[in-house]
Amino acid sequence: MGVKTFLEGWPVYRQLTGTDPLGRGAAVKSKVSDGLTSRNTEADKVVKSICPYCAVGCGQNVYVKDERVVQIEGDPDSPISRGRLCPKGSASLQLTTGDARMHEVLYRRPYGTEWERISLETAMDMVAERVLKTRAETFAWDTEDGQRVRRTMGIAHLGGATLDNEENYLIKKLLTALGVVQVENQARVCHSSTVAALGTSFGRGGGTTYLQDLQNSDCIVIEGSNFAEAHPVGFQWVMEAKARGAKVIHVDPRFSRTSALADVFVPIRAGTDIVWLGALIHYVLENEKYFREYVVNYTNAATLVSEDFRDTEDLDGVFSGLDREKHVYDTDSWQYSGVKATAASGSRDSQYDARTGTGKSVADAGRAESHGHGGPGPSDPPHRDETLQHPRTVFQVLRRHYSRYTPEMVEQVCGVPREQFERVAELITENSTRDRTTAFAYAVGWTQHTVGVQYIRTASILQLLLGNIGRPGGGILALRGHASIQGSSDIPTLFDLLPGYIPMPHAHLDETLRSFIEADSADKGYWANLDKYMISLLKAWWGASATEASDYAFDYLPRLTGSHSTYDTVQLQLKGECKGYFLMGENPAVGSANTKMQRLGMANLEWLVVRDFSLIESATWWKDGPEIESGELTTEEIGTEVFFFPAASHTEKSGSFTNTNRLLQWRFAAVEPAGDARSDLWFMYHLGRRIRERLAGSTDERDRPVLDLTWDYPTTGSQDEPIGEAVLAEINGWDADGNPLSTYEDLKADGTTSCGCWIYCGVYKDGVNQAARRKPAKEQSWVSPEWAWAWPANRRTLYSRASADLDGNPWSPRKALVWWDEAEQKWTGHDTPDFPPTKAPSYRPGEDAHGVDAISGIDPFILQSDGKGWLYTPVGLVDGPMPAHYEPQESPYENLLYKQQSNPVRKAVESRHNRYAPTGSQPGAEVYPYVVTTYRVTEHFTAGGMTRWLPYLAELQPAMFVEVSPELAAERKLENAGWATIVTARGAIEARVLVTDRMSPLTVGGRVMHQIGMPYHWGPNGLTTGDAFNELSSISLDPNVHIQEVKALAADIRPGRRPRGAARLRYVEDFQRRAGVTASTGQES
Amino acid sequence: MVTRAQVLGLVDGGASYEEAGARLGIPPGQAYLVATGLPADGSMALAPEERARPGTLPESTQRLSNPPHVNPTVKPEVLAWIRQRAARDLGKG
Repeated sequence: MGVKTFLEGWPVYRQLTGTDPLGRGAAVKSKVSDGLTSRNTEADKVVKSICPYCAVGCGQNVYVKDERVVQIEGDPDSPISRGRLCPKGSASLQLTTGDARMHEVLYRRPYGTEWERISLETAMDMVAERVLKTRAETFAWDTEDGQRVRRTMGIAHLGGATLDNEENYLIKKLLTALGVVQVENQARVCHSSTVAALGTSFGRGGGTTYLQDLQNSDCIVIEGSNFAEAHPVGFQWVMEAKARGAKVIHVDPRFSRTSALADVFVPIRAGTDIVWLGALIHYVLENEKYFREYVVNYTNAATLVSEDFRDTEDLDGVFSGLDREKHVYDTDSWQYSGVKATAASGSRDSQYDARTGTGKSVADAGRAESHGHGGPGPSDPPHRDETLQHPRTVFQVLRRHYSRYTPEMVEQVCGVPREQFERVAELITENSTRDRTTAFAYAVGWTQHTVGVQYIRTASILQLLLGNIGRPGGGILALRGHASIQGSSDIPTLFDLLPGYIPMPHAHLDETLRSFIEADSADKGYWANLDKYMISLLKAWWGASATEASDYAFDYLPRLTGSHSTYDTVQLQLKGECKGYFLMGENPAVGSANTKMQRLGMANLEWLVVRDFSLIESATWWKDGPEIESGELTTEEIGTEVFFFPAASHTEKSGSFTNTNRLLQWRFAAVEPAGDARSDLWFMYHLGRRIRERLAGSTDERDRPVLDLTWDYPTTGSQDEPIGEAVLAEINGWDADGNPLSTYEDLKADGTTSCGCWIYCGVYKDGVNQAARRKPAKEQSWVSPEWAWAWPANRRTLYSRASADLDGNPWSPRKALVWWDEAEQKWTGHDTPDFPPTKAPSYRPGEDAHGVDAISGIDPFILQSDGKGWLYTPVGLVDGPMPAHYEPQESPYENLLYKQQSNPVRKAVESRHNRYAPTGSQPGAEVYPYVVTTYRVTEHFTAGGMTRWLPYLAELQPAMFVEVSPELAAERKLENAGWATIVTARGAIEARVLVTDRMSPLTVGGRVMHQIGMPYHWGPNGLTTGDAFNELSSISLDPNVHIQEVKALAADIRPGRRPRGAARLRYVEDFQRRAGVTASTGQES
Repeated sequence: MVTRAQVLGLVDGGASYEEAGARLGIPPGQAYLVATGLPADGSMALAPEERARPGTLPESTQRLSNPPHVNPTVKPEVLAWIRQRAARDLGKG
């Protein structure tokens, strides 16, 4: 290079001698940079999309050039994300276009040692054949005592919660028609507790508020969640509130980025939140900090409880009705005084007899999610005392129940000093008034416990007492962690639900649609319209075959006989009764509790279908799983036939996600998937088509539900992809003239309307895909009502009638949301009011009023059977009408509140692969002296299938690790960045040690307690590998919804790597032996 | 080199950014950037005072820097299919 060339290449020379001496633009460009162009500007088009990871639902712009996706960026028009993406969303170009994705179907024949390549067509035909064969072999018409079930227990399904609503709809529709009842998804293991808890408390199982509304909060309590790292883009609304002066409180076992940005961080012992929240309730009641007018009129505080009810105060930690032998409660004594309240969701079917006078009830229903609410309630007005002085008012029962939840108890049980408790209590109550509101945000730190439902119930009670529900800046935000986990409950691939939280029918003698409606509909509120919702659903599924004469094909629905959740399925697999399994976007070999049992269950199948992007652990366990290494399984002896189907990515299919705001947001396909990759919509539609072709002409009554199914969706493109909008339109519903329905108010019970999911009715209003609406945020109000569509009826804040006083005026101008317009005689406001639009505040129903007419002008909770928020749940839950603290299944502490150690009706599973550690003061508990908890990191996603294969993300978080305090590191001689082995009564794993002050020892029960933190994303496959956390966890379940307890386990930690092969088993057995673990350990009521 | 004054002059005179860019020989997104100092693609969180700068538009400005968007909310073929389904399933039409 000559001097002249060197000088001319020197930027300063170029600047001073060129046309831009001040360096404003042209001078800073070299020849190279001048020649660069952005991928964005070169693109042919921008396709609007939504991020497929967590449930914040960030908007994405997908840039396409020459039919290839060339870039993905945040969409600044989104009112939720405002253009931002987190590391995962930013890496989604790699997710969709990276070379880790599979594009060929693979087949593992029985006892085979390698994958084989087969064509997509061949594989689809083989799966269709397997489904029909297994179904034929395992189909049952009746139970032994003659109850109709019309089903197969030989086939099961477990899906991810990043599937589209339309995909879930076809999965549920086809499998139900086939008689498959074991249809489950990630929502079971993630947020099923939410649906039952929020449902029984308020009427619907969705979060009561939405992310953007947090900006209106004066105080935000984040508990059971690392909001900033697990939902990073949504956290901007917390910071927005903080910038406006709000106080932010973070309560969590571990200090995280959420804690760093909070005003107050409260470290707490995992598994003790009910004590903490219960003490806040106690504080509110004893210091008269509750919102009296709201509590008296909008909650059931004034209602009298039955004289037969006995509280934990009377029975030392259990409620009346406990059958210790059967591990169940008879809930009759929990009813209101003088009223026989009809059963609600969870135990709803137990009162089938009383409601219908026929049939036989099923106690172990696991149906707390059905209706998504407390369900039908008292048919007569319950006794009330609005002075709240009667000792049997809910208010006084509550006061007595929480009298022992004191700051001293918080200190003893939770490890939180009294001064810290009082500071938080003052902050919350100071910011919960007519003029100020507090919001709670939580995630799976609350849901995944044996008392998970009751955690959320405790917060619900607190928020009702403070008058924070239905008001701007208030509410309870359930932070969902999967793009459509809310949608996966709404349009449920869940065993106990039909779309819109209609319960799946249970087996009864001679049950008809009429008796089902009688048993499950309400006398008051919108569930009185169950017949309209149900018949419209049956019309959507079975069309012309669903007539009054055919009882609307009600008999086509298979019946439940108890719990058929994913954890029950695993046990059926181990017994050999469940023979075929669909895994669609789910990786239970890493992500479900007790991964060994998951794999052993799969090793006992006849066939397994895995649909995913890459060869996840649930696809390859037969070849390289931990049991192959240990010798427990031998590849050549495993008979399971495995089909691997490559899945289409979110940019390759059109469909809707329902985010944590209950907002349906539509994505458009940018390109067609390559090779054999296909959407789940394509897979289910074409599988159903093949099955129907095979059954054509069948006269077997068993096949009628499949042959009569409406299954004629229009397709598009070279791959015959079903048009997603057509499925959405069926979900929305139409009338007899072919007009899309506008609202569920239009549904009829005479067979003249069709609707696949009543709560989604309106999403295709006027023939417009409302979920695809994208009016930019800056062009509308902060509510952004024209961005996408929220259920129900595009209402963003639920129960907003409660934002106004009895006369319909806002409690304060600062907290105005909706109000009664006297001149117009209707409700109006910033949001679509969640209330009958013309029902005046002064309206009081007559004695004979029924259904919606029976809702008074001061009943904000319009899905509840009494129109009130429930401080006390007389029906609906199976483990108590009020939350009580129980220690986790495994705990290093005795329960200091009661004699009763653990939830007496939790579901413990007895298996040699599912041993429990001794708990409390039982001998041997000291062998597992520490509490282990688990969580996410920003850069990885659930069981890793969508992140561990991406180079960007693998590099950002390259290894499984375990976080310990410096004190615990010293106690166990652990070295930072060295290896540690963590062992529980089920398994042992290894991880890199991270010694950090983020984990701080707590003083609990007078002694120092150490907690151990671990992420749960890793597994043996992918670019970044590690042991799976769930090798450690057990199947121990909340009795309401059968969610697993993985947030607080008992464990030991030792320096060094874990033993290999069979030695690993002996290592775990040695700990079991020393602890005296037996089959009966941990099984006591 | 195009200056802020040039762009703002045209915009104040009633030209759109597309027109201003065309006249000045630069893309419309660049014209917006020159005029306001803000990226048209919306990739910046704006302070209130930035939103008030001369030349800023109240609406979304992505169209100035991005290729055309694809976001169809109506599909005639779906509406036709609905009518067929309704006629068959609900017995009318």
